[in-house]
Amino acid sequence: MRTAGTYLLLVLGAVATLAPFLLSLQTALKSPLQFASEPVLTPPDPPTLVNFAELFGDRYDFVAPVAVTAQVVAVILVGQLVFSVFAAYAFARLRFPGRDAVFWLYVATLMVPQVVTIIPLYAVFADLGMRNTFWALVLPYVFGHPYGIFLLREYFKGIPGDLLDAAKLDGAGTLRILWHVVVPVSRPILATLAIITVVTHWNNFLWPLVITTGRQWQVLTVATAALQSQYNSNWTIVMAATTIAVLPLTILFLAFQRHVVRSITITGFR
Amino acid sequence: MAGRRQGARRDTRTAYLLLAPSLFGISAFLVLPILVVAGLALQRWDLIGPRTFVGFENFTAVAVDGRFARSLLTTAVFVAIVIPAQTVLGLVAGLLLNRGLRGSAAFRVLYVLPWICAPLVLGVVWRWVLAPTDGALNALLGRRVEWLADPALALPSVAAVTVWTQVGYVALFFSAGLRAIPDTVHEAAMLDGATPWQRFWRVTLPLLRPTTFFVLVTGVVSSFQVFDSVYALTPNGGPQGVTDVVAGRIYYEAFEQRAVGQAAVMALVLFVLLVAVTLVQQRWFARRTTYDLST
Repeated sequence: MRTAGTYLLLVLGAVATLAPFLLSLQTALKSPLQFASEPVLTPPDPPTLVNFAELFGDRYDFVAPVAVTAQVVAVILVGQLVFSVFAAYAFARLRFPGRDAVFWLYVATLMVPQVVTIIPLYAVFADLGMRNTFWALVLPYVFGHPYGIFLLREYFKGIPGDLLDAAKLDGAGTLRILWHVVVPVSRPILATLAIITVVTHWNNFLWPLVITTGRQWQVLTVATAALQSQYNSNWTIVMAATTIAVLPLTILFLAFQRHVVRSITITGFR
Repeated sequence: MAGRRQGARRDTRTAYLLLAPSLFGISAFLVLPILVVAGLALQRWDLIGPRTFVGFENFTAVAVDGRFARSLLTTAVFVAIVIPAQTVLGLVAGLLLNRGLRGSAAFRVLYVLPWICAPLVLGVVWRWVLAPTDGALNALLGRRVEWLADPALALPSVAAVTVWTQVGYVALFFSAGLRAIPDTVHEAAMLDGATPWQRFWRVTLPLLRPTTFFVLVTGVVSSFQVFDSVYALTPNGGPQGVTDVVAGRIYYEAFEQRAVGQAAVMALVLFVLLVAVTLVQQRWFARRTTYDLST
């Protein structure tokens, strides 16, 4: 009885969670004509990809925002991984004057909210003549985030010292130690950081919204928002856009679900 | 001796070379902006033309203009709806997920799904779900409710969408926190004849305090900055400005009204508020979360 009740509630929760996703997918698979003429909840008959074809066609050109977003995320991902490994290794494994003060500065910057930095960053990029450029989308994030550095530092502290000493005795330089010793033993935490970074920047909206104008450097979230406000009641095409925006992360999430769930509980990211 | 000192000096050089990129990034994109925003608060700027120094004019303008104060209040109401709702629902879901039933892991994963999606995109999805004539919810209910256009319903609707997005995330933390409570504690309470209700209030809940606190701190700080989903659901502050949250106010002030100086003042105030909230909560956290299991 108790078990049945628990399952009932769990299933109700799952339905409430999934319903908006499934309903929006269903709408994306309907022809605009069917959506306009039949009740909202009737299933697509027949299911059609016409909205997706139109979305990626000349008029809406969603290929560009997908490509821009993928490039931005890729560059930020590589930068964050490399520079976070650098910084975390220094904090975890090297002794140097000023270490605690610098680390304290990193941790303190965790308290700076994004809304507060948007205006001054806009002013700085305007002064540099870099509004509406690829680098404006990338630069604020590519050098690493204190959260990632903090996360890796905790992990690097646990690497056995013998392993590093052996490499040092063999005459390996710092970069070789990082690449051949630290990175291989830290795969799980690096995967965690990679997932966090991809999710955060695939979903980023406010900074791309203010620093880009027009189509050239429009990212997926900004393009989706623009599409929605421009074609207000063309819900079939708008739902096709939200499906495209959500799909890659959903696949990534389902493929690495255990990793993602664990990474959220260790880091509480965001 | 000399060799060791040389080694230490080499370590220092290596360390700062390794730190250089992130130190540059953090200084330029997280620390410098705080100084720049303070400077902009003293200037007049329309995003394009030259900047002129105007002293504290922007501060008085923001203080006199009631919209900023109203947006702070709106945000406080939003937080006051979202936080209790998502915490209670998340705790309930966490308890259900931790009954050791088969398939719990799958449900846990499913519940987190909205949380990894872009809030902006989910906002657009829900804008359709809540649309008056061709939306899914009204079709399901068979009546026409203006979820987002009715001034009385807009803020609760936006808050409900936020809760929907975050419950799974909160549940994840509670379920992890519940697993960390040793079985012996529950067994001891049962031997003492405690009812399930008593065990929940006197044992489980107090032992969950660190989790509850983490969830509350991060929840308050992040929902105080809510922007993306509100922007998608109810642009331009919503009907009669009832969903004009503070992050939105800052955005519209700077990038629609082009009153950058006043927006900078608002950003500064928000920054100070959030730092204060974080520090107060941390102090409270440090004081209240230690408990002695031995007594």
